[in-house]
Amino acid sequence: MSKIEELAFAVENGKSKLVPELVQGALDEGCAPIDILNQGMVDAMAVVGDKFKRNEIFVPEMLVAAKAMKKGVAVLKPYLAGESSARIGKMAMGTVAGDLHDIGKNLVIMMIESTGYEVVDLGIDVPVERFLEAASDPEISVIGVSALLTTTMPAMRETVAALNQHPRRSQFTIMVGGAPITQAFADEIGADIYTEDAASASQAAKALAMAS
Amino acid sequence: MIVIGEKINGSIPAVADAIARRDTAFIQQRAIAQANGGATFIDCCASVPESEEVETLHWMIDCIQAVTDLPIAVDSPSPDVILQSYGFCRRPGLFNSVSGEGEKMDKLFPVLAREKDWQVIALLSDNTGIPKNAADRLRVFDKIMAKAAEYDVAPQRIHIDPLVEMLCTSEDGIETNVEVISTIRKRYPTIHITAAVSNISFNLPVRKIVNLGFTVLAMNAGLDSAILDPTDRDMMGVIYATEALLGLDGYCMDYIGAYRKGIFGPIKKQA
Repeated sequence: MSKIEELAFAVENGKSKLVPELVQGALDEGCAPIDILNQGMVDAMAVVGDKFKRNEIFVPEMLVAAKAMKKGVAVLKPYLAGESSARIGKMAMGTVAGDLHDIGKNLVIMMIESTGYEVVDLGIDVPVERFLEAASDPEISVIGVSALLTTTMPAMRETVAALNQHPRRSQFTIMVGGAPITQAFADEIGADIYTEDAASASQAAKALAMAS
Repeated sequence: MIVIGEKINGSIPAVADAIARRDTAFIQQRAIAQANGGATFIDCCASVPESEEVETLHWMIDCIQAVTDLPIAVDSPSPDVILQSYGFCRRPGLFNSVSGEGEKMDKLFPVLAREKDWQVIALLSDNTGIPKNAADRLRVFDKIMAKAAEYDVAPQRIHIDPLVEMLCTSEDGIETNVEVISTIRKRYPTIHITAAVSNISFNLPVRKIVNLGFTVLAMNAGLDSAILDPTDRDMMGVIYATEALLGLDGYCMDYIGAYRKGIFGPIKKQA
């Protein structure tokens, strides 16, 4: 097994302690940092996402895999500086005003980060103005809006409505999700993409970046 | 959680029959089932007259070792029998047991001092029997720990059994056990605390449910080892769930792992 294959295996299995060592080992062997990132970690996380969607693994397994990757990326980051191809896009994501849920949002962020996005975490209980402000960042290509309560779905509606009036509207995609959200609701409020779980969200975000 | 599989014990009638006719396959089937069920140790108790006990244990231990690498808990009320039998084991296991009673400690602790990889179960009873209240059991505990220190037997090699008595005649539920367990856990964070779980449910209907409830509450107090039936899938599942609930299993990885290994949950049909 090559170092990169070993790394991919360790990421898939959420071996947080092993991953940084394997990244360093691959660097020491002269592997290109971008290959370490893509083949050793991003691809491994895609496998994790697929397994989750097929109900072969559980949420915490996806979470530890994403955490393991994060540890690896921390080691790799200095070597990736200057390699613009390492970043596939920039996204801002938050939970709507009045909603304090962050576990699902954080998982979505980790999964989307694992595809190569830089994600700005707007946090929880995020007022519409904060979303609009984030959307003004010329690098932002995706805005993620999360709501976990039926009582905060109206806040999502307001947030998406405001984002739809934004001068940069043609340059970003609005993704929505959360336990009570459905495709029908997403369509009704004018969001671009609805996904039902973190793995699907990361796949959708990745597809957007690949298409642009 | 350390699980000491209880199913090879001559006090169980079916096992006594198998021992009497030297039914190797019967003993081995129980050893395999317990190993597959997730046991950490396989307890081995002959429950025959002492004159035949060593020879019987020898046969039983050989049966078990032919089918599993799990360490064995050599179980006898007689310290002499334990000392004459543990050498049949290919790998270090557990002496089951010492207590404050008679010369048990004086006979077994010097050997534990030498056999550094062996562990021991220590019951909190003494010559007066099972002390009624927590304070008296803790006094026996202190005696045992003093002896252990004398022979340099580290707490992590000791499984304290606070002695579980049947719930149906108890006046305070498991209050005494909980007090003993939590006091010991506070004083010795690395010691093991074990219990013969099924004792709790003697003479009650649907014993399994009582056993499950006891295990959860005892684990909450600090139990980290138990003598029970590892082929009881609900029990094993509840143990993993309780460890996760107590914050001993980060991200439920052990719970999920055990589920995946088929330790609990619906039995998967082999393709």
